[in-house]
Amino acid sequence: MPTLETEVLVVGGGSTGAGVARDAALRGFSTVLVERGDLAAGTTGRFHGLLHSGGRYAVKDPVAARECVVENPILRRTAADCIEDTGGLFVSTQWDDPGFGDDFLRGCQATGVPVEEVPVAQALRQEPRLDRGIARAFAVPDANLDPWKLVWGCARSAKEHGAQILTYHRLLGLELDDGKVVGARVHDELNGDELEIRSQVVVNAAGAWSGQIASLAGCEVTVLPGKGIMIAMNHRLVNTVVNRCKPPSDGDIIVPIRTVSVIGTTDTRVADPDELEVTPAEIEEMFDEGEKLVPGFRNARALRVWAGARPLFAGEQVSDTRDVSRTHTVLDHAKRDGVDGFITITGGKTTTFRLMAEHAVDAVCAKLGVDRQCTTQEEPLPGSEEKRFYWLGSRVRTQEPVPGEHEIICECELVTRERLLAGVAHRHPSSLDDVRRTVRLGMGPCQGGFCIYRATGILHSFEHLDRRAANTALLDFLEERWKGVHPVLHGAQLRQARLDEWIFQGLLTVQHLPE
Amino acid sequence: MTDVARFASYDTVVIGAGLAGLTAALRLAEEGQRVAVLAKGVGATHLSPGTVDVLGYVDGPVDSPAKALPDFAAANPDHPYRRLPVELIGASLDWFKARLGDHGYRGGLDENFLVPTAVGVAKPTALVPETMAAGDLRGGGRFVFIGLRGLKDFYPAYLAENLARASLPGEADILTRVVELEPPLGNARDVSGLGFARRFEEAGFRESVLVELDRYLVPGEIVGFPAVLGVGRAREVWNELETRLGHQVFEVPTLPPSVQGLRLYETMTTALRRHGCRLVVGNTVVGTKTSGSRLEGVLAKTAGRPLTYRARSFVLATGGFASGGLQLDSSGQIRETVFDLPVAGVPGSKQRPFEEGYFADHAISRAGVTVDESMRPVDGKGGTPYENVHAVGATLGGAVPWREASGNGLSLASGYAAASAILRET
Repeated sequence: MPTLETEVLVVGGGSTGAGVARDAALRGFSTVLVERGDLAAGTTGRFHGLLHSGGRYAVKDPVAARECVVENPILRRTAADCIEDTGGLFVSTQWDDPGFGDDFLRGCQATGVPVEEVPVAQALRQEPRLDRGIARAFAVPDANLDPWKLVWGCARSAKEHGAQILTYHRLLGLELDDGKVVGARVHDELNGDELEIRSQVVVNAAGAWSGQIASLAGCEVTVLPGKGIMIAMNHRLVNTVVNRCKPPSDGDIIVPIRTVSVIGTTDTRVADPDELEVTPAEIEEMFDEGEKLVPGFRNARALRVWAGARPLFAGEQVSDTRDVSRTHTVLDHAKRDGVDGFITITGGKTTTFRLMAEHAVDAVCAKLGVDRQCTTQEEPLPGSEEKRFYWLGSRVRTQEPVPGEHEIICECELVTRERLLAGVAHRHPSSLDDVRRTVRLGMGPCQGGFCIYRATGILHSFEHLDRRAANTALLDFLEERWKGVHPVLHGAQLRQARLDEWIFQGLLTVQHLPE
Repeated sequence: MTDVARFASYDTVVIGAGLAGLTAALRLAEEGQRVAVLAKGVGATHLSPGTVDVLGYVDGPVDSPAKALPDFAAANPDHPYRRLPVELIGASLDWFKARLGDHGYRGGLDENFLVPTAVGVAKPTALVPETMAAGDLRGGGRFVFIGLRGLKDFYPAYLAENLARASLPGEADILTRVVELEPPLGNARDVSGLGFARRFEEAGFRESVLVELDRYLVPGEIVGFPAVLGVGRAREVWNELETRLGHQVFEVPTLPPSVQGLRLYETMTTALRRHGCRLVVGNTVVGTKTSGSRLEGVLAKTAGRPLTYRARSFVLATGGFASGGLQLDSSGQIRETVFDLPVAGVPGSKQRPFEEGYFADHAISRAGVTVDESMRPVDGKGGTPYENVHAVGATLGGAVPWREASGNGLSLASGYAAASAILRET
């Protein structure tokens, strides 16, 4: 069996794992990251995309709020290219107690969240689609955060500092020797090989799956997967992050991100983070709540629904996952369980991923008896050196000077042939769904109706996929897309979906592709 | 101002300008009726290839629609083909071939062609325009597929590799290969299929394609282009390519907007105008005037004032969900959007409208308007809400045309049948 030697082995390729791998590599540790699927394909890639100001936690979870207050400006400095500075509003709608606004203000002031009550008329000018009946509005520095860009940025940076990022490598088992974790066996999911990795410290950064990973070392870690559903609506119904000013509840936030708006979310305790069912009642609730913020919400096109599993760490049993703090915990299993060489970082959220990584790698340093300073609060991610925020028009800006110069493969998301090929060459994605996350191919209103045939043809010739692999990529994409599309399919989006059916099943007849 | 209604009177008003609506309108206009076609926009012709698929798949591929149709109709009592006798379908195909003389349509109900799709599937279809006929795969042969650099909607290498594995009847054997050309596009790079089609009507562009391609062809090869060989002068372009190359040439339909569909639409609407039909594209029917079980008129919202179109007969050809003729709201209700006609096949509250698998048979796919033999909508009890309204095309329920490969066949036959019924009545 081939063997790799490393100081730090990170398990999990979400924001936490990628952040840990980068931090460790920047501090000079030899580092390997293993992830069972693609990067950011778990919880990180399945949230609404909010960069928290801390406002959402100001009243109920001051520890989490203070962390956001610190991390929000750090990410604005170091990951600017992943952030669109939309700003955020908390609004008291007709259905909310306007008195909560005072609690909210006090909470923000106590935790340091920059907040300002703004006149309702000003809020309505800023966001004219908001319900005219709102009573109060507060401005906070919420923003949106592109989770994929963030994680790839971390992975790229880690690689530049010598780390190895092994995606599609599933952890089979942890090797224990005399009460110490000394390595792991992993399975290459793409070519079927097994690989042994010898390590000095294993960092379990598997988020909602970290309980499963810990059990491989015989440690019990109780992580409650808290399911949250989100629906992407066509267009930017708002251009500012809009939150309901009330205690956290279902469907109380709309995040404008890229070309869509995402409404979220719910919080339901589930048994298995891989089994996240979305129910019609949950979808209806999102539409109802969306309607309270933006009248006519229900008539906008619902593109896709998905669910993510928050990793909520609980010391003891709790009934409502919403009551578990959103802050994170570092567990040194030597102290806790008598298992050395093994650290679990869990809880937390993407906004504080950098801090989580810092704490985890601090624990690695302590374990290895070295003192190396964290630099991620200053060191920008690749692509963010200029500290310029992403903005919605940036793809148009690069197209505009010479219209017609580039073939646009995905018209919804303005993905050119060049961008597609660059993304593919950079990451060697193994599926069109990975391509989708890489360049946002097929994320717009038509959900791949036109671009997926084109991308299949391009991958077939450019990546030298054989026809079987190309056919599988095409068919898998359609099946994967459908999972998120059909539960919310109605109205004008059904019209779009039916056109896609005509294209794929009527015109191309992909269901009859030869074996 | 008074509320004196502005109105216009016709023998028949057709709502919708897809193949079904155009067929009904042209047939009536040819018979001397005064016909108006009201359409919100152009129809699904611009989304579909120029083939007429009557019945392509029942379990597996269908060799002969004429033989398969009776059993198919018997097994699917709610299918529109149950109301459309084989003879009528055949007559509608003959009528269509004669009207589309310039397109040189070939085929009929007896045998399906097998023509390549843009992913390399051999797809059965009943009628093909002459520009596609040489692509018939049933006899096998050596095929070369032409890539045009700059055309993002056609990937010949992917097509050719799949097609070489297509299962064909009998001993037919096919060889496929690919030639990639670099046609002169100047500085333009994001050129649509329609953009290429217009360029193919320029002699200079054609010349450079011919010169480049001529070097690569091997005698006996059949040459497949993406379906972009001209718009209004397609026949001329195709003829010149065949003559100059000395090879059979055919087109492979690809992503919308469909150049072939555009040709079809142009030919049919030109014929309509020649017969004095009024074609109004860009308005929406927003109201009705009824008298008992008769529809007296429809109110169309136009750029200026609303206008009432009165007629003795009406044809509803607004299409299905894809065209907005049917609508599903977020609570699961399905509406026919113009007349609020009864819709059959609506999944019940306990039934999921969509299955988990994309390619599964979704309950909602068969929802639509049910009609009698005269294409008159019927309700669940067999009554006719309007005695002088006829529904045609994709508005009809009971079919899954994209799976059956029956779309244009249903539109053509039902449009033809509605016109026949109206002519019988008057």
